[in-house]
Amino acid sequence: MADLDFTVDETIDITSVTCPVTFVKTKVALDEMDEGQVLQVHLNDGEPRQNVPRSIADEGHEVLRLDDNGDGTYELYIRKVGD
Amino acid sequence: MKITVAGETKEFDDGISVSKLIELENVETPQYVTVSVNEEFVDSGAFGSTALKDGDNVEFLYFMGGGR
Amino acid sequence: MAFTDEQLERYSRHIILKEIGVKGQKKLLAGKVLIIGAGGLGAPAAMYLAAAGVGTIGIADADKVDLSNLQRQVIHTTNDIGKRKVESAAETMRAINPDITVNTYYDFVNSSNIMDLIADYDFILDGTDNFPAKFLINDACVMAGKPFSHAGIIRFKGQLTTVIPGEGPCYRCIFKNPPPKDAVPTCKQAGVIGAMGGVIGSLQAMEAVKYLTGVGELLSGYLLTYDALKMEFHKVKLPPRGDGCAVCSDHPTITELIDYEQAACDMKQ
Repeated sequence: MADLDFTVDETIDITSVTCPVTFVKTKVALDEMDEGQVLQVHLNDGEPRQNVPRSIADEGHEVLRLDDNGDGTYELYIRKVGD
Repeated sequence: MKITVAGETKEFDDGISVSKLIELENVETPQYVTVSVNEEFVDSGAFGSTALKDGDNVEFLYFMGGGR
Repeated sequence: MAFTDEQLERYSRHIILKEIGVKGQKKLLAGKVLIIGAGGLGAPAAMYLAAAGVGTIGIADADKVDLSNLQRQVIHTTNDIGKRKVESAAETMRAINPDITVNTYYDFVNSSNIMDLIADYDFILDGTDNFPAKFLINDACVMAGKPFSHAGIIRFKGQLTTVIPGEGPCYRCIFKNPPPKDAVPTCKQAGVIGAMGGVIGSLQAMEAVKYLTGVGELLSGYLLTYDALKMEFHKVKLPPRGDGCAVCSDHPTITELIDYEQAACDMKQ
């Protein structure tokens, strides 16, 4: 995994839940954070990887990067925008 | 002249009164209807003396008492 | 307040909505709505508001469930016949969503109890079936500064408006006084299509949800009418709140609540 040029403030794992709770959990986690903070999301390939980054971007947050862990899971980094 | 009644524009004789329109439109319980012309209420006592003009927008508002 | 996993799942379709989200759902859970009348309008409204997670819902009605109610009052079932409507409604609401608090008031509203009844609530929903109650609710809400949804249904027609006291016109701005007894048919005499309560009561619930969450534009300053036979909705723009109204103008002539006489055919059977 490449080095991150930002610090992660919060981490959540949404690999045990399915759509739409994946997005809901991500949204709730962001809601409890401050503007500019970074959330790291551990998620599965497939639907979560396709939908969560897009839905989060639709909400106006900044998707910093999405890293493939090579084991069917991904790490998504989101910077919270707005309050 | 053209008058819009409850959103529908129709042709009427020039200068008809609100009372005449109520009659022509077969308004139910006409003595209890509330009438607005161009988004202003017309007093029920003035229905006969209020002449409508081309382009007026008339709404009939009815009592509706049911609910349970 | 943090959501439990169960709440996240229950309210996920709300939380996903950009307009509602986490904050909106929390507002709903903190919200208090009073529904007056557990009948055709109140039944669907109560069910949707309970399902939506409106945290405190009051329901007032002095009737018991009757077989003739079941054609439209979908919150009650055949097994509930003879039960107090407020109890039957509360059971259904708690079954839909155990997350919420339901307060029941087995009482008709009148000039001596309505102010106390509405005092604890953010939004009032008029689901009554008679003009004395509708005027009483209007006047009380205007005097107490409580926003409310007014509605009426009959045959294949329905209508509703939302009143924000001090801002938009009230029910009495449109109709100065109740019609004389029996002058205008009520749904007991005239009949009403069952789904009409579903359409209009659900729209009232929608207004309550919008008010609590602050989303969108309320039906204040408009009367929305629905004709099911023509399948037409018509939104009538109302004149602004003016000097003319006896109760909501800045110099009201009605300053005390009035118990109008009920039409004989609408008295408790």
